[in-house]
Amino acid sequence: MPDGGVTGLFQPIPSQRHLSRLCPGLVALLVLPLPSCSGNHSALDPAGPEAANIAQLFFLMLVGAVVIWLGLVASIIYASRKRREHSEESAGRVILWGGAVIPTIILCALLSYGMWLMPAIRPWVPDDHQVRRIEVTGEQFWWRVRYFDEAGKTMFETANEVRIPVGQPAHFSLKAADVIHSFWVPSLGGKMDMIPGRTNPLTLTADREGTYRGVCAEFCGESHALMAFTVRAVAPDEHEAWLAERRASSPQDTEGLAVFLNNGCGACHAISGTAANGRIGPDLTAFGERSTLAAGTLPHTVEDIARFVAYPGVIKPGVKMPHFGMLPEDDIKTIAVFLKELK
Amino acid sequence: MVELGNFSPEERAAQEERLRKVWKTPGGWRYWTSVNNSEIGLWYGVTAFAFMLFAGLLGLLMRAQLAVPNNDLISSELFNQAFTLHGTVMMFLFAVPIFEAIAIFLLPSMLGARELPFPRLSAFGYWSFLLGGIFVCGSIFFNAAPNAGWFMYPPLATDKEYAGIGADIWLLGLSFIEVASIAAAVEIIVGIMKCRAPGMRINMMPMFAWYLLIVAGMILFAFPPLIAGDILFEMERMFDWPFFDVARGGDPLLWQHLFWIFGHPEVYIIFLPAIALMAMIVPTFSQRPIVGYSWIVLAAVGTGFLSFGLWVHHMFTTGLPQISLAFFSAASEAVAIPTGVQIFVFIATMLAGRVIFSVPMLFGAGGLAIFTIGGLTGVMVALVPFDWQAHDTYFIVAHLHYVIIGGMFFPIVAGIYYYFPFVTGKKLSATWGKTAFWLMFVGFNVGFFPMHFSGLRGMPRRVFTYPEEVGWDLFNMISTIGAFVFAAGVMTFVIDIFRPKPETMERNLNPWNAGTLEWTNDPSESWGMRSVPIITSRYPLWEQPNLQADIEAGRYYLPDAKSGKRETLVTSVLDAEPIQCLRVGGLSYVPMVAALALGGVFIALTFHWWIPTIICAIITFIAIMVWLWTGTAQIPEAEEVDVGLGLKLPVYVSGPASVGWWAMFITMVGDGTAFASLIFGYFFYWTVHVDFTSGAVGPGVSWPMAALALFVVAWLLTIAARQLNEKGPAGCRIALAAGMLVTIAACLAGLAGPYFHGMDPTSNVYPATVWIIAIWTVAHGAVGVIMQAYCLVGSLTGRVTAVYDQDIRNVTLYWHFMAFTAVVAFAVLGLFPMVSA
Amino acid sequence: MKSVIPREVESLWTLFTAPTVWAVHFVGCYTTVAVYCAKASSLDFGFETVRLLLAGLTILALAVIVLSAWLAWRQWGFGVHDPPHDEPTKKGRTLFQGYATLLLSGLSFVAVVYAAIPLIFIAECQR
Repeated sequence: MPDGGVTGLFQPIPSQRHLSRLCPGLVALLVLPLPSCSGNHSALDPAGPEAANIAQLFFLMLVGAVVIWLGLVASIIYASRKRREHSEESAGRVILWGGAVIPTIILCALLSYGMWLMPAIRPWVPDDHQVRRIEVTGEQFWWRVRYFDEAGKTMFETANEVRIPVGQPAHFSLKAADVIHSFWVPSLGGKMDMIPGRTNPLTLTADREGTYRGVCAEFCGESHALMAFTVRAVAPDEHEAWLAERRASSPQDTEGLAVFLNNGCGACHAISGTAANGRIGPDLTAFGERSTLAAGTLPHTVEDIARFVAYPGVIKPGVKMPHFGMLPEDDIKTIAVFLKELK
Repeated sequence: MVELGNFSPEERAAQEERLRKVWKTPGGWRYWTSVNNSEIGLWYGVTAFAFMLFAGLLGLLMRAQLAVPNNDLISSELFNQAFTLHGTVMMFLFAVPIFEAIAIFLLPSMLGARELPFPRLSAFGYWSFLLGGIFVCGSIFFNAAPNAGWFMYPPLATDKEYAGIGADIWLLGLSFIEVASIAAAVEIIVGIMKCRAPGMRINMMPMFAWYLLIVAGMILFAFPPLIAGDILFEMERMFDWPFFDVARGGDPLLWQHLFWIFGHPEVYIIFLPAIALMAMIVPTFSQRPIVGYSWIVLAAVGTGFLSFGLWVHHMFTTGLPQISLAFFSAASEAVAIPTGVQIFVFIATMLAGRVIFSVPMLFGAGGLAIFTIGGLTGVMVALVPFDWQAHDTYFIVAHLHYVIIGGMFFPIVAGIYYYFPFVTGKKLSATWGKTAFWLMFVGFNVGFFPMHFSGLRGMPRRVFTYPEEVGWDLFNMISTIGAFVFAAGVMTFVIDIFRPKPETMERNLNPWNAGTLEWTNDPSESWGMRSVPIITSRYPLWEQPNLQADIEAGRYYLPDAKSGKRETLVTSVLDAEPIQCLRVGGLSYVPMVAALALGGVFIALTFHWWIPTIICAIITFIAIMVWLWTGTAQIPEAEEVDVGLGLKLPVYVSGPASVGWWAMFITMVGDGTAFASLIFGYFFYWTVHVDFTSGAVGPGVSWPMAALALFVVAWLLTIAARQLNEKGPAGCRIALAAGMLVTIAACLAGLAGPYFHGMDPTSNVYPATVWIIAIWTVAHGAVGVIMQAYCLVGSLTGRVTAVYDQDIRNVTLYWHFMAFTAVVAFAVLGLFPMVSA
Repeated sequence: MKSVIPREVESLWTLFTAPTVWAVHFVGCYTTVAVYCAKASSLDFGFETVRLLLAGLTILALAVIVLSAWLAWRQWGFGVHDPPHDEPTKKGRTLFQGYATLLLSGLSFVAVVYAAIPLIFIAECQR
């Protein structure tokens, strides 16, 4: 029984059984005005089984909590307004039952449910090459993403955007390069810390196509607030096609690339198929495909790219990239256009 | 039943004159040499409250920044300093000290004692707290405040470029305050166990005392792991010992373990005393004894224990094995049971009584309603799967503020309204109180309830800004408005405290008609109890007729101060039978000098000023020696004194009967916990690495074994000295001198292992761990030598004799712990590498 | 039953027996799995063995708590006397101690049972 104990007897709910059917009123209240250009970002609007199970658990506990709280406040009010005193014996029974016995039973049931849910939503995944992993490394203040082939070798690297196939579990290996970060995509599931010296596994499944926003959830320094990323869940065949396309590096040779290389950008950034092979900063291959800039900090427009190239530290305090504001405006513009069109 | 004393008015006036003289608080600048519990308690409370207001302002600053998306009101740099200080100050400089303040202020009166057993220790704690607090808070005005979060996770906090001097200020400033907290814990435990009024058996103790006893015990086990962690952390920052540096075998998770072994009990350390205040208030306003006294004991003791099984629930997302997480989830759910019991005890008491709904009750009930929401969300986040989502989001921010403000701040305010007449003789205004309550209650809920939603909708904690399009702006705007309304409520309360109040007509010591002993005290006199009564009830003022008058007429114990010294009664632990007339310390500069000099050590260390560090350390040492020599174990002018009611009690006792012996025992329990944390670290590194020595040489077997043997011999010699002392000084002196030599040899042998094997502590975590354990043990050995020398000098000067042997008995007790430490330390260092290989 | 432990145990420490058993059980469970999961690759027994071991520890812990509860119940006079036990006598104090110890034994029993629940549902280290 690899997934443990009595787990086999039950199955966790699939997220298709959408929550809004369980408690429509509550969901409407909590998820009110949501969608945005940067994608879904809410634990209460699940798009995968882990998030769905946890959201269901939350709504269950919420109903229980509301009932308990109302009962408790009512009894405080009653106890302070009642006409005559109760006997000490009956008051003692209130402690025994209300304070001890009933909570013990409720908590025991809740704990058992939670314990059963744990291995069910995060089952054990063998750590071998059979499982194709996506390695995500948290760095101050961006995400390095690596895809591996069947043999466990790096296929290619990208940054701040992860693509996964819909309906299939995506296995992540989470690492940290400098300080502790935490990888969290609320719509798909819970978070997992990225700790220097450790590799933490996490498996997430999206069962709806879409763009999901993720953030760093562990305080990691000055621009912790500006460290988001995007997960794009696409149809499996589309995903395979993307992987194949990215593996085959297409040489680029444009005027923009020349400006990019002449100003030394290639010392820190890599663009596959070109002389730019720096490893310090985010890989910029196919940069034009991405939906946001600077780890979810800015919209992906030519103006914003130019702005960021000129003064990264103003937009993102504490970032390692130096200012390039001293370059001729035209060069910055050329680089921005080049990057925006990089496919 | 004993015959009560009976004095003529003239005799009483003379007694009062003598008492007043002995307990007098000096005027002018000598006022600050006071050590009386009512002064120290008041200073402590006011200082802690001021720090709270400061941290509250930082909170408002953060709320202002987060009111709208993409705000640039303050920089991320300032924001990160602000949230770090907000958490740090609220926890270390407000929540813990305010309870120490209340305990020091109230406990003697509640227990029927004149004073806690170590007033100078309280003063020392206060000055430490003040200096450390100003140091930590002041840093933000120099843009040097700690900025890595109140949890200080490495490697961010060990990054010198990012964290700068702020992390050192945090580590050293707070270590200093932790020392003060442990001092307070010693004071409180000994006070509650040994200084109760005659007849106050443990089933008669006020609820407050029960809670505080448990809380002080928790401090002994919770703070030392953090002190151990601080030591490791500071060694890494100062000398590059790689405890948390992954590249050299360290592991940042060890800090998280040590921090949260402290951090979670801490939550209960601040929560239980507040509930203790509620347990005093609710019976008074229900006009009946508490229902379920034993249940409260269950709740306090149960919470105290279970709270140590929760720490990993702050680490549910660190990728530890799920089975490990699960145990902590189980304990986190279990701790909800005693907490529920506490709430139902209050409800039951109200049910069985006639409730008067005054301002303290309003704050109490409002706090309970808020706290319950925090408790219920606590049950939610204790469940691992839900925590995977909620962890490090605004949901947690909401949860912890509901718990702490509902469970701690509201009850504290209730307690201040309740005890204000006890402090000043006047009540606070009910109108102002109600206004403050509603502003605070509404403001709090408006401010913090929406955070549940912003958190679940994906807003992480500790962000200085957030984008517009994710839909958090409305929630944040509401939160900010609520926070300012809440702050207005707090200001109303503060103004109510400080505004001038009209003189009251009649003198009413017990305006709420409470039943507990503290309300017999006259706030205009500094002696506390006029005479120490015999207690036969849990609510003596309700059930012992004429008690107030008898106490004031000096008809009970210690009605006089003929010796001209401050005296209080010491009673037995379980049944509170009088066993000693204890003379406590009076006015003195020494605690202040010792605290300021020790503060100097910590501050100078922060800036790596080695020479001032050494100078301050020497001053500290001298001050402590003067304090011990002139203030403890004084040989009295007579064996026994008359304490009244025909009872004669000894003034000098030694061994387990004495308060000093207990203080030593309790301190060493805390010390042992810190040592255990270091040993935990050793084995932690063993579990995380395949080869924990990573190929480096160890200290060998022979030197550690030699050190172990020598420490055992030194311990036996110390015991021999105590035994021989009963027969005469000569043997004792020889044994002590021999003990000193052997201890010095033991210390050298302890260091020789790692030294002669060329272990470089900066190369890898294994040599660093070996060195730190060796140094810890040797440092204790050095203290052991000083103690032996102190006894030797005492014996030579006639201070330690066959009868008056308190010092040598306490030193022997220290040596029991010392021997245990040495045996464990050197057995682990010398033998474990062989076992594991 | 003739007991070696005196009927009125003259100490405050008996109060802490049951919670201490919980603490020992808790630490035992945690350290066992922590060490096992860290060193599993070099050990030649499976998690099933760990589960059985800890199940045994749980039963032992529960047994000790039941024993402490029985002693407390006896000290409390087998429930003949009702709380609040606020009489100013040694007897009152002893009854109080018995009753409080009994209550704490109950809480500790529940806490140990809770700590055993994970062992039912989680059958791997599960990283």
